[in-house]
Amino acid sequence: MAGFSQTQQPAIIEDTTRIVELREVTITSTQKTAKQQLINFFKANSSVTLEEILSRLPEISLIRRGSYGMEPSIRSFTGGQINVLVDGMRIHGACTDKMDPATIYIEPINLENLQVQTAITGFMSGSAIGGTLNMKMAEPDFLNVNKITGLISSGYQTAAKSFYESARLNYSTGKWAFRMSGTYRNNKNYRSGGGDIIDFSQYEKVNYSISAKYQHTLYTYFKADLLGDDGWNIGYPALPMDVGYAAARIGSLSMHRENPSKSLYKWQVKIYANKIDHSMDDTKRPNVPMHMDMPGWSKTYGAYTEAELKINQKQRLLLRADGSSTFLKASMTMYQPGELPMYMLTWPDNRKNQSGISAAWLLQIDSTLKLQVTGRTDFISYKLVSQEAKDQVSIFGYPSANRKDLLKNISAVISKKISQKIKVSASIAYVERMPTASELYGFYLFNSNDGYDYIGNPKLKIEKSLQADLSVIYNWKNNRVQLSYFYSSLFDYLTGTINSSFSTMTIGAKGVKEFINIPNASVSGVEGSVVLKPAPAIDVVSTVRYTAGKDNKGNSLPLIAPLKNTTSIRYQPKNFSVQLEAEAASKQGHINIEAGEDVTTGYSLLHIRFGYNTMILNNTIELQGGVENIFDRKYHEHLDWGNISRPGRNVYIQFRVYL
Amino acid sequence: MKKSLMILVSLALICIIVFLAACSKDKIAEADPTEGMTKITEGYAAGASAKVQVYTKETSITTGFTKLYIALYDSATGNRIEDAHIQLTPMMDMGTMMHSSPYENPVSEQAVNHLFPCSVTFIMSSMGGTWTLKIQVHNHMNDKEGVLTIPVTVNEPVKSKQKSFTAAHNGAKYFISLIEPTAASSKVGINDMEIAIYKKASMMNWPADSSLSVILTPEMPTMGHGSPNNVNPVHIGNGHYKGKVNFTMTGFWRLNLDFMSGTAVADTTQYFDVEF
Repeated sequence: MAGFSQTQQPAIIEDTTRIVELREVTITSTQKTAKQQLINFFKANSSVTLEEILSRLPEISLIRRGSYGMEPSIRSFTGGQINVLVDGMRIHGACTDKMDPATIYIEPINLENLQVQTAITGFMSGSAIGGTLNMKMAEPDFLNVNKITGLISSGYQTAAKSFYESARLNYSTGKWAFRMSGTYRNNKNYRSGGGDIIDFSQYEKVNYSISAKYQHTLYTYFKADLLGDDGWNIGYPALPMDVGYAAARIGSLSMHRENPSKSLYKWQVKIYANKIDHSMDDTKRPNVPMHMDMPGWSKTYGAYTEAELKINQKQRLLLRADGSSTFLKASMTMYQPGELPMYMLTWPDNRKNQSGISAAWLLQIDSTLKLQVTGRTDFISYKLVSQEAKDQVSIFGYPSANRKDLLKNISAVISKKISQKIKVSASIAYVERMPTASELYGFYLFNSNDGYDYIGNPKLKIEKSLQADLSVIYNWKNNRVQLSYFYSSLFDYLTGTINSSFSTMTIGAKGVKEFINIPNASVSGVEGSVVLKPAPAIDVVSTVRYTAGKDNKGNSLPLIAPLKNTTSIRYQPKNFSVQLEAEAASKQGHINIEAGEDVTTGYSLLHIRFGYNTMILNNTIELQGGVENIFDRKYHEHLDWGNISRPGRNVYIQFRVYL
Repeated sequence: MKKSLMILVSLALICIIVFLAACSKDKIAEADPTEGMTKITEGYAAGASAKVQVYTKETSITTGFTKLYIALYDSATGNRIEDAHIQLTPMMDMGTMMHSSPYENPVSEQAVNHLFPCSVTFIMSSMGGTWTLKIQVHNHMNDKEGVLTIPVTVNEPVKSKQKSFTAAHNGAKYFISLIEPTAASSKVGINDMEIAIYKKASMMNWPADSSLSVILTPEMPTMGHGSPNNVNPVHIGNGHYKGKVNFTMTGFWRLNLDFMSGTAVADTTQYFDVEF
């Protein structure tokens, strides 16, 4: 069985970061923490999408509008509250309805690991109050000179009659290394528990990447990456429209230097650019009151540099400076026969320029006590960049919608090893985040979950949060239990409020909401994980999480997942494995009715997975299969828009050949 | 030989081009004030020794408030007359009866950018009869007076800019005209809104009205929605009322207008349609 690499872990206190390794090539030096083991366990049986891997992490929930394009939330922080980065690069979805979080443009095959940082240190790469999800892309390797290595895999799943084909190849000349990958997915409308077909849940996509690496000196290499992702005919059963196409182009050039003997032992510089074209489509829907086109465009370019310094044996410094510029535009054109088209900008042309610096100082006070202090400041300007955009926004009484803000973030983490078995860490942070383009400039953006049109407000205050985090880890032999508690007090919390003086734009909408700041809100929660190894061939992993959110009037915040537990037992003697997985969520009764929520009933599911690998003609062959939702339960999660049922019993099989 | 001919021809061509360029430059420097306008008619105001040209910014004249620009020339010298007193009298001959319509004489006796701006509100199209416009000119250059009467063809526009109603509070007949926005001037955003209100005092007397207040409610009939933050038109002088109308998208908009006299309702049935 392939091992897992562990080469790129940021040198920060590991309890604030969770890294999911996705690259399955054997690399010699590994320094696995117990935490990585937990994560490796979860993804080992993966013929899965990135979203499925994310959904297994206790900190992450996914807001689901279709079987594709789920929006990640870290500890219930979502959208503009978190950073979703691709290899440290900023990338902004081009859909006003958030159909395309950046995560959809990356396939697991492109990735080396997933780095999830919660609010405490998650602002290191960008001001945010909810943390950072960074998708670290896989790099070409120099392991096999003048030889093509790689992996071909093919899979089928019954619930959506879906095909998955992918391949990656690596070639190295010694100085140069190249990596190519491609993925094709084709999903039909899936079948939910009980046998109902969920219409408009289909999708089809290809993803392709090429990257080249040049080893300049022993310590320095240069890298160029290009990634393309094209999706089409993507259904969103919870939304009134689907996606005709969504195309992303992502490119970067970087320089990496790593020399453990120097005080500046790690240094990286990267320049990048990406663009997304996105187009919604209603032509396949029945009973459309009026046909409309809704295209969106996003273009970002930027650069960053990161350095890690060893001041002395006890002190280290992490530095980052970055800048980026993002252009967004989205429009809507409605067609009524016999009339001129109705055209408007849903995202009036706007540009966000951001530049920031951050630093983390790590101090090993003694052999049991560690301290990390992290700070960041961001200068962000937003402006409308066309007369058309300015004219539109002026309707709401904002003659100038441009703004400039300085954001400040600071945190401290202290971690103490109380005994050989018990480690405690405590953190506190003050963090800020910028309102998003939708929150500032959105023009009648329809939210099908609450049925309201949303209007932006360029005069919004930045959202702030004071957070505390406490975590206890208990380790013995190969077993480990971790318990974390966090509390986040939010100030100038951004939400929508009904403005009854405005008339709705969307046919059938209930009213118009305007983005406002409310004085305060809070989010708190508990996460726990247990990793047990009762016998060498047996692993038991269980995670549990619970989050609660309240606004200033004591109402529950929307989109908060209920108590959820996932427990897996894996038996893996040699090259065969079998895994039983139970997933259970309680009822969610803490709901926000104004946000269109209703009570979600609890559910429990059982999955079984098998794995087998062998050698044929010097190639490793891997066969994976399983049955998800064995009892064909009809269920949906609380964060699923429109209460659309999730897939029912799903039999999958996947075949992999390592070259 | 051939070569020198070529050079000669080339030189000649260059000369012509330079000359033409110089010519066109001179023209731009003069800036014709009627550039882009349509000349409706021209004729002589007999007695005033004046040639009269009537222009509009539209391609043709349609029912409703019509801004006109009059250019006067000395009929002998052809020089512009910049100082004159102009008096309009529009007249509709319907065969069995005749009536006038609202109009605005040039405000000043001095030409503005060589032209005398004025307006006539044609309350119906030429379908109903024959429109004429009598232009009396008092040429201050020679202190002579003369009259020119021109026929005017008034077409019905695609979207009406002219409405009338009998007021509920006093039984009087009011004529309302949409001046702005037009289909060409409209944009998604804040638009200037201007209407003119005239009262029919008699067949020949159509004074401007300043007594009414106006409530503007735009809507998109197809979509069933309106727009926020509109500014009701208020009287600014000579029967003109100005406000703001906000269009949240392009397309077909209906500007609903309610007219009040103090707290009394004059009319709540009027609207203008704008499609852009």
